[in-house]
Amino acid sequence: MKTLAIALFLAVAASGVFGAGEAGSPSPAELRIEGAQKVLQKQPNRYQTYSDLALAFVRRARETGDSSYYEQAGAAIASSLRIAPENFEAQQAQVDLLLAEHNYRQALDEARALNHRMPDAVLVWGYMAEAEAALGDYQQAEDAAQWMMNLRPGNLPAYLTGAELRQDWGDIDGAEEYFSKALQQTPPFETEETAWILTRMGRLLRQSGRPDTAEALLQKALKTFPDYSLSLEEMAALRLDQRLYPQAVELLEKRNGSFPSVSSRLLAARAYAGAGRPADAAKMYAEFEREARAQMGLSDDASLDLINYYVDYAHRPQEALRIVRLRIENRHDVWTLDACAWALYADRRYAEADQQMEKALAIGTRDAVLFYHAGAIEAAVGKKAEASHYLQQSIELNPASEVSETARRAAAQFPARGTWE
Amino acid sequence: MKIKPHPIKSRVPLVALTLTFLAIAAVTVPFVGPAGIKASSHREAPITALDPTADITDVWAFRSYDAYGHDTKTPSITMIMAVNPFEEPANGPNWFPFDPRILYEIHVDNDQDGRDDIVFQIRFSSQYQLPTVPIALAGFTSSTGGTAPGVPPQITDFANPGLNLRQTYTVTMIKHGVATAIRNSDGSPFYAVPANAGPRTMKYADLYAAGTYGETNDDISVFSGTVDDPFFIDLGATFDTVNLRLLEGGPPGGTGVPGVLSTSEDAANANLASDTVSGYAVDAIAIQVPIQMLTSTGRVEPPTSPHATIGIWASTSRPEESIRRPGYSEASHGLWSSASLPTVRNAAYTESPQEKDFEHFSQVQRLGNPLINELVIGIGTKDYWSMSKPVNDSQFASFDLDPTFVSIVDSLYSVLAPGALFSPPAPRTDLLPLVEYLPPIAAPGTATGPIADLLRLNTGVAPTDPSKASRLGLLAGDGAGFPNGRRLADDVVDITLRVAVGGVLAGNQCGSTHTTTCNVFPNNVLGDGVNVNDVDTDLATDGVTNLVEPNTHFHTSFPYVDYCPSGRNRRHIDPGEAGCTAGTGAPCPVQ
Repeated sequence: MKTLAIALFLAVAASGVFGAGEAGSPSPAELRIEGAQKVLQKQPNRYQTYSDLALAFVRRARETGDSSYYEQAGAAIASSLRIAPENFEAQQAQVDLLLAEHNYRQALDEARALNHRMPDAVLVWGYMAEAEAALGDYQQAEDAAQWMMNLRPGNLPAYLTGAELRQDWGDIDGAEEYFSKALQQTPPFETEETAWILTRMGRLLRQSGRPDTAEALLQKALKTFPDYSLSLEEMAALRLDQRLYPQAVELLEKRNGSFPSVSSRLLAARAYAGAGRPADAAKMYAEFEREARAQMGLSDDASLDLINYYVDYAHRPQEALRIVRLRIENRHDVWTLDACAWALYADRRYAEADQQMEKALAIGTRDAVLFYHAGAIEAAVGKKAEASHYLQQSIELNPASEVSETARRAAAQFPARGTWE
Repeated sequence: MKIKPHPIKSRVPLVALTLTFLAIAAVTVPFVGPAGIKASSHREAPITALDPTADITDVWAFRSYDAYGHDTKTPSITMIMAVNPFEEPANGPNWFPFDPRILYEIHVDNDQDGRDDIVFQIRFSSQYQLPTVPIALAGFTSSTGGTAPGVPPQITDFANPGLNLRQTYTVTMIKHGVATAIRNSDGSPFYAVPANAGPRTMKYADLYAAGTYGETNDDISVFSGTVDDPFFIDLGATFDTVNLRLLEGGPPGGTGVPGVLSTSEDAANANLASDTVSGYAVDAIAIQVPIQMLTSTGRVEPPTSPHATIGIWASTSRPEESIRRPGYSEASHGLWSSASLPTVRNAAYTESPQEKDFEHFSQVQRLGNPLINELVIGIGTKDYWSMSKPVNDSQFASFDLDPTFVSIVDSLYSVLAPGALFSPPAPRTDLLPLVEYLPPIAAPGTATGPIADLLRLNTGVAPTDPSKASRLGLLAGDGAGFPNGRRLADDVVDITLRVAVGGVLAGNQCGSTHTTTCNVFPNNVLGDGVNVNDVDTDLATDGVTNLVEPNTHFHTSFPYVDYCPSGRNRRHIDPGEAGCTAGTGAPCPVQ
C-alpha cells in the first residue's frame, strides 16, 4: 500500500502536475493579501474580506517564517470583528491564528464555542482536533477528526488532520496514505501548501527509515516552492541523519538567512558540531539557548527543544525538569511525556521516568528517539528484555537516526530478545 | 515590536486550507436569508442534498388497515421509509436502484428511552442479467404475444432478463442484540421493484404485486421498490419564502389571504394548488410487523397503556472512512499489552463480525418526525443533527422549543395580513409531544423519556376506516393519524402549519398579547392548498388500474404506496394547469 502510494505520487510529481513556483512571482499568500487589500480599498466595511486577509497573513507567516505577519493577521481580525462583532469567519480566523501561535488551550476553548454554534463547520472540528492532540487528549482529537471525515467524506483538511493523528498513533503507513490523498486533492497553484505536505511526508519517511524516498519528496518540495524554510530545514535533518554535515551546514545557513527558528538554530548547532566546527557549534548552541529561553513562555516548541538541549547537551537535568513541570501543566502529548521521562531519567529518577515513558508509549507513536529513550529507561529500571526490544525498535525503525549509533552501542550490552531468559 | 516565535513547523495547515476549502466550507455558513417550510425532508440537509440515495425523504408508521378500516389478521404496524427524492420516472437508462453500500435501517424504541430496542436492517445487492445491453430495463411483447429478436420480452416478473439491473435485498431484525434474518417462505430472495419505465417495457403492477412479500418466517411483510412519492406539497410556493397562493381565485370562494383556507378549501378532497412532487417517484422500503413483536410487553396494549406507545425512526449509513484504520492496533508494534493501551476508540477491538461491521458505518441521515430537521434545526447544524442519535437530541432543545421558521412566517404575515396571525411565543412547550412521550399521543403515565425526534405511535389506537380518515389526523379528531404516527395521506404540511405556526395546541398563547386562544381562525385553517397526493388514479394511458382509495388516494393494503408513475406517460402537475388534481377538477392557480 505504502509503496504504491508513494510510487503513484512520484509518477504524478514527475509528470509536472504539481506547479512549480517561479522566482520573483508572488506567492499564493501574497496574491491573496493583494486581492483582499484591493477589495478593502473599494469596500472598507466588507468584514468577510478582513477575515480572508487575516488567513492570508497567517499563511504568509508560514511561507516566510516571519511571525510578524501574525500581528497583521490579528489586526485584520480585529477590523472584521469591529464591523461585525459576531461574524463566524473572523472568529474562525481567530482560532486559526491562536493555533498558529501554538496557543492551544485558548484555541480549543474558542473552537468549542464555535462548534457549539455551528457543528456543521468542518474546519472547526479540525481546529479542535489539532488543539486536543497538541494538548494530549488523543481520544477527543480522534472523535473530532472522525466528525470532520463523516461530515464531508474525503475532504482535504480531514486527511491532513488524520495523517497527523495516525503519525501520533504510530500508524506510519496510514499517515502516508492520508498525506498522499491530501496531496492529490491540493490544487497545483497552491505551491506552498504542496511543498508543506511534501515536507511532512519527507519527514515521516525519513523518520521511518526511508531516506531515499524522503530525499525525492523534499527535492520536489523545494522545486515546487523554492527556498522554503521548512523544506530546507527538513532536508538538513536528512543530511544530518546521513552524516553529511557540511551539506547540512550549507542548507541551514541558507535556511537561517532569514527568520531563523529555535529548532533551526538547534539543528545548525548539531550540524556545526558534526562538521568539526566546535566554535561555531558552541556559538549556535548559545544563540539557540538565548532565543529559546526568550521565547519559552510564548512557544511550547521552544520549551521542548530546550528540555532536550538541557538533557542531551548542557547536562542540566534540574533545569530541564523545571521547564518540564511548566510544560506538563497544560500538555500531555507524546512529546511532552517523552521529554518528561527523559529529563527524569537524566536526573536518575528512573522509576518516575519509567512511569512517564509508559504513558508516552501507550499512545502508540513510533519514533526512533522515543524508542531509544524508552530502551535506556527500561535498562535503568532493570527491565532488560524490554530495553533490548525498544533499542532494537529504534534501530530498525530508522537505522540512521541521530540516536542510532548510541542505540546500537546500548543494544550490544543486551542479548537479543528471546535469548535473555 | 515584540517578536513572536515561529511555531510553524508542526502545524496542520488548516489555515491555508481555509482558503482552498471555501467551496466546501461555504455550505456551513449560516443561512440567514429567506426560510420557510420545506418539502418534508427532500434534500433538507447539506450532506444529503449531495447524497440522494442516502437522503431519507419521509418516514411513515401507522397501524395497518384494510379497505374497511379493519386490522390485519394479526394487528400490525406498517413502517415505511423513502429515500432518493424527485426521481423522474423517465430518467433511464439506469433509473434509481437502492445503493448497495448503504445500510438502511428502521429503528423502534419500545421502552421510551430514546434508544432502539428493535432494528430492521435492509441491504441491497445488484446484478446485471444482460451485461452487454446498455439499459437497466428493456422489454417488448406485441399485442399478439410476439417478440422482437434481440429484445427481451416485456418484464412481468423478476426472472425476466429484461430486468437487466435487478436488485435483491436482505432484511435482518435485531431485537435486544439478537439478529434474525427475515426470509421469504419459499426460500427465494426478496426482489426490489424497479422504476416503471413504461407500458411497453413492463407490467409494473405485476412486479409490484410480486414484490410484496407477505409470507415470511416471522409473519412480517416486506416491500422495497420505486413507487410514487407519497408526499404532497406546493413546493414552489413554499420555497419562494412562503409565497403561498390565492386559492379559488380569492373571495368569495377563498379567504383572500394566501395560506389561509376557506371552509370549502379545507374540506376539499382535491388539490387547489399544484402538488410539486406529482409524477415523481421515490425508493421506498416498507415493513409490516405484528404489534406484539414491537411492544415491550409482547402484547397488543390498549391505547391507555403506558406501554402502548413506541417511537420509530429511520436512518441511512455508509461505511465509515475511519481516521483510525479498521483493525489497526498500536499493540502490534510494541511490547506493551492491551491493558496498558490508552482509552482510544477501536484500540484492539474484538467485537463480533456483526458489531465490527456496524462499528464502521457512519450514519448519514436519520428521520423521525417530518418536520424537525427541515423546519427547526438551523442550517449550520443540520448535518450534525442528521448524524447524531435521537437519544442525544436534548442538545437541540433550543431549536425545538423556539423554531426560527415560526417567527419568520409570523413576521411575513404581520406585513402581508396585519393582525391576522399571531403565533405563540417561545418556549414552545406545546411542541413537546413531538419529541417526548406525552399526551395526546402517549397515554398518561407513559415514561416521558428524553427529548428525541421519534415518530411516536400509540399502537393501541385502532385504525380508521380509510374512507373516513381525515387528512388532518389528530387535529380533526382522527386519532389514528399524525402526529399519532403518520399515515401516507396525512397532510403534514397543513398540520405542521397549524400546530407549529398557528399553535393550535398551545392553549391561550396567541393574539397580540398572547392571551387569546390559538385554536381559532386563521390559525386553525392554515394550509398550502395541496390536500391530497396527486397520483394518476387510473394510469389510463398505460392501461393500468391503480387501486387507490378515493378518500386517501392510496392503496388499502400493504405496502399502501402508489404505483410508480409511468416513465413514458408520467405527468407533473404545474401551476396554471387546467386540472389541478391528476389533471381533473379546478385549475391550478398561478397567483
